[in-house]
Amino acid sequence: MAEPFATSDPLPDSTGAPSATASAGTVEWVAPDALGPRVADLIAEGGRFVMLVGLDERSVSGAGLAVEAVVGRPDGGLARLRAGLPLEEPSYASISPLVPAAHWDEREVKDLFGIVPRGLPDPRRLVLHERWPRGYHPLRKDVPAAVRPPDAERHFVPFDVRGEGVYQLPVGPIHAGVIEPGHFRFSAIGERVLHLDARLFFVHRGLEKLVEGRSFGAALPIVERACGVCTVTHAVAYSQAVELLTRTTIPPRARWARVLLAELERLYNHVGDLGNICAGIGFQPAVSRFGWLKERLLRANDALTGHRYLTGVVAPGGLATDLDPDGLAVLPETLDAIGLELASAVRSIVRSEGVMGRFHGTGVVSADTATALGALGVAAKASGLGLDLRRDRPAGAYEELEIALVTASTGDVAARFHVRAQEAHESLRLVREAARRLPPGAIVAPLATTPLAGDSVLGAAEGPRGASWIWLRAAADGTIDRLHLRSASFANWPVVAAAVPGNLVPDFPLINKSFELCYACTDR
Amino acid sequence: MPLDVFDRLLRPLRSRPVTSRYPDEPPDLPAAARGLPELDPVRCDGSAACVSACPTGAIRLSDPVWSLDAGACIFCGACARACPRDAIRLGRQIELAVLERADLTIERAWRAEP
Repeated sequence: MAEPFATSDPLPDSTGAPSATASAGTVEWVAPDALGPRVADLIAEGGRFVMLVGLDERSVSGAGLAVEAVVGRPDGGLARLRAGLPLEEPSYASISPLVPAAHWDEREVKDLFGIVPRGLPDPRRLVLHERWPRGYHPLRKDVPAAVRPPDAERHFVPFDVRGEGVYQLPVGPIHAGVIEPGHFRFSAIGERVLHLDARLFFVHRGLEKLVEGRSFGAALPIVERACGVCTVTHAVAYSQAVELLTRTTIPPRARWARVLLAELERLYNHVGDLGNICAGIGFQPAVSRFGWLKERLLRANDALTGHRYLTGVVAPGGLATDLDPDGLAVLPETLDAIGLELASAVRSIVRSEGVMGRFHGTGVVSADTATALGALGVAAKASGLGLDLRRDRPAGAYEELEIALVTASTGDVAARFHVRAQEAHESLRLVREAARRLPPGAIVAPLATTPLAGDSVLGAAEGPRGASWIWLRAAADGTIDRLHLRSASFANWPVVAAAVPGNLVPDFPLINKSFELCYACTDR
Repeated sequence: MPLDVFDRLLRPLRSRPVTSRYPDEPPDLPAAARGLPELDPVRCDGSAACVSACPTGAIRLSDPVWSLDAGACIFCGACARACPRDAIRLGRQIELAVLERADLTIERAWRAEP
């Protein structure tokens, strides 16, 4: 059923497109209540839920709001279904009952746009906590970014589990350690967790509102800083979207450098996270060992780019700064040493029965749960789902690389430890190969054209925690009309909450660290 | 594994400290390090390209003062890339602590005698 809106998304010409991963797809307008059944049909045909994005159409077509569901087709293409909604009391039939992976997306769209998914199983607030006033929906175009709304006098009502012997254990949002804020409320009987309610979004900075009206270049530092440890992932996903929108082809050196940087990011994250898992059981010798390995990788990053966390290197059109020749020269030697030490450190963990006894059978996520909740990255692979954008929708120089996909079947902490350890070795190999094949030449190409107003595209990159997606639409003056970042952590947090019930309360830190998700890029 | 045990026992004897003597000795900064943006007052011609390139609005320019708010700078290097005369580079100054917020603003006279 067609809506009375013309689609403002012409098919981009596919020649010279930077990659298959950044892809426009065609937007199909559907009736609001047909959204759920259509998405469910696509998923039944082997598709995967990618994201739901809320839109204010007034800036483009002049009328109303909209929601767009994006589904990845098995052939690598994207299905984009958009439903137009009136400005007054916008609502549609919730898709979460059919597609559980969409439930945080729908709660977010409800908070930020005031679009109500009718029949949403959990209609509580997600992004905007109770101190935000009712009726305040900041991503609507008529809400000014710089005006602070008054505080509301309402209180958080936690998810309640009642019954004889059930007690609640609130943890956070301030934790004993230098970690991000999250409030975890355990409902437990004795030491067993019955239910975990994870309340995040304490670091919501309104980044998606902040980039609206900015040029593509001026938005990059903000997108890149959505979180501290996924900077390359987000910068690549964003840059690919901009390059597709402007029909820009990046130079070969930038294509290969992006692979090198993305794999370095995966490497230091995985190595650090292997240590964090050990910290979850207080096994300090391993924490120190992996910590020192991570430090050496950060110093290699610094020598290569001038930034330990690789910020400020990737930019729309290619790279902002070239890789340092001295840093490149010593890289193979550094990687060889780290590879040996990493293998030895992992071996010492795997051979320790005391450690593995805590890892095995803890925090199990079944393949069915991972599929239903839309798990990504390590969380998906550890439960046997072979999902990886580098293989499934290769972009840039990944098109020329064979990726050895690592999966495990047990879905427990041990499986997530194993997947990270194996992926780290694969990343070491890929960094070496990218460094060897890195061609000389220009690092950046000017953006070829100014995008058409209302043109929208998606960009994506496989980060250390899975696929992060950027949805991007251009405004009439060539600035950003709307940007949505759906990070891998956003997708995986509901999986953490599902992994905990049935486990002991003191195993939560271990389970949580086996996912090691970011709060900041979930919250934005 | 007995060999593993020996390896673990002997490791501390074989390895050397990985920490450095900073601040007694200068930090080991890589060549690519991005410290505080530095202005070459002789090269600067007051084009203000850095002012419009700065994503955080940390740079101001008047005649004859170029100023940088190090508290707003994110060390991205956009100013250095934008400068048509290569008058800015991200230097090697990384010790930026001050006692007063106002002291984070650095001022340079750009209309210097050649």
